[in-house]
Amino acid sequence: MALNFFDQFMSPMFLGFPLMALALTLPWMLFPNPSSRWVNNRLLTLQGWFINRFTQQLLLPINNQGHKWALMFSSLMIFLLSLNMLGLLPYTFTPTTQLSLNMGLAVPFWLATVIIGMRNQPTHSLGHLLPEGTPTPLIPVLIVIETISLFIRPLALGVRLTANLTAGHLLIQLIATAAFVLLPLMPAVALMTMMLLLLLTLLEIAVAMIQAYVFVLLLSLYLQENV
Amino acid sequence: MPTSPVKTRIPLTSFGHLITEVKRQLFAIEPPASVELTGLRKYFNSYSLQGRRNCVLATYGIMLVTATAFFMHRQNKKEAPKDCTA
Repeated sequence: MALNFFDQFMSPMFLGFPLMALALTLPWMLFPNPSSRWVNNRLLTLQGWFINRFTQQLLLPINNQGHKWALMFSSLMIFLLSLNMLGLLPYTFTPTTQLSLNMGLAVPFWLATVIIGMRNQPTHSLGHLLPEGTPTPLIPVLIVIETISLFIRPLALGVRLTANLTAGHLLIQLIATAAFVLLPLMPAVALMTMMLLLLLTLLEIAVAMIQAYVFVLLLSLYLQENV
Repeated sequence: MPTSPVKTRIPLTSFGHLITEVKRQLFAIEPPASVELTGLRKYFNSYSLQGRRNCVLATYGIMLVTATAFFMHRQNKKEAPKDCTA
């Protein structure tokens, strides 16, 4: 069966059963559970060190009220990181290429930050919609612009992750197909294409990690404004 | 673990501090003290938090009133030709 380039983004089905739930649960199955031992093994120690360090750095600029979000941010980061990295394996479905999933993560988190801000400190939240020191004639214009930028945030969050991962996977598939097709025809060009594919794969590994981090970092910045 | 000595001076999510610094350094415009603001400027300004809040609420209020007036006017215009034909 000939696959087209977009079949990798189709939701996985098996005999009519959707496997999306399995794809989303896979990262949880791969990570070891924390144990009650005083000194853990190397993997668990590394996992704990990474999560602690990441959470500490992320929550540094946020005040104590925002520290309640520590578990949410760390679990979101691990979830997105593992989904993105697992998706780089050949023939593996990447759930974060689905806009529905990313919007399903972005919109509730963003809305939660806005509601928290409006509920706990409405003056501060409304004051954020007008930058300090704005010249008087520009006040209405800037308020409209800031309001639009506020509502664009969840859209940008979701689409950024989707577009980056989709584009990367598509590029990998295109260049791999090109290298495969060129191999019997022009081996030298195919070799260069394979070098390009290797560099692109390294780039995609970096993009996978960075995009997960950027998603969580931006959410923490939105929280910082409202807490 | 020691924390990084680098601390950002200007909050990443606020352009207000950038605008204030640019006005101060390039144009030598200092933000007025709260006692200098009188009349309407005391309640509607872009320097104090309350002033900014009031500006935002006023802008939203004006936009809401304008939109309501526009849609009601459009509804009246639709109903007026129907009354003429009946």
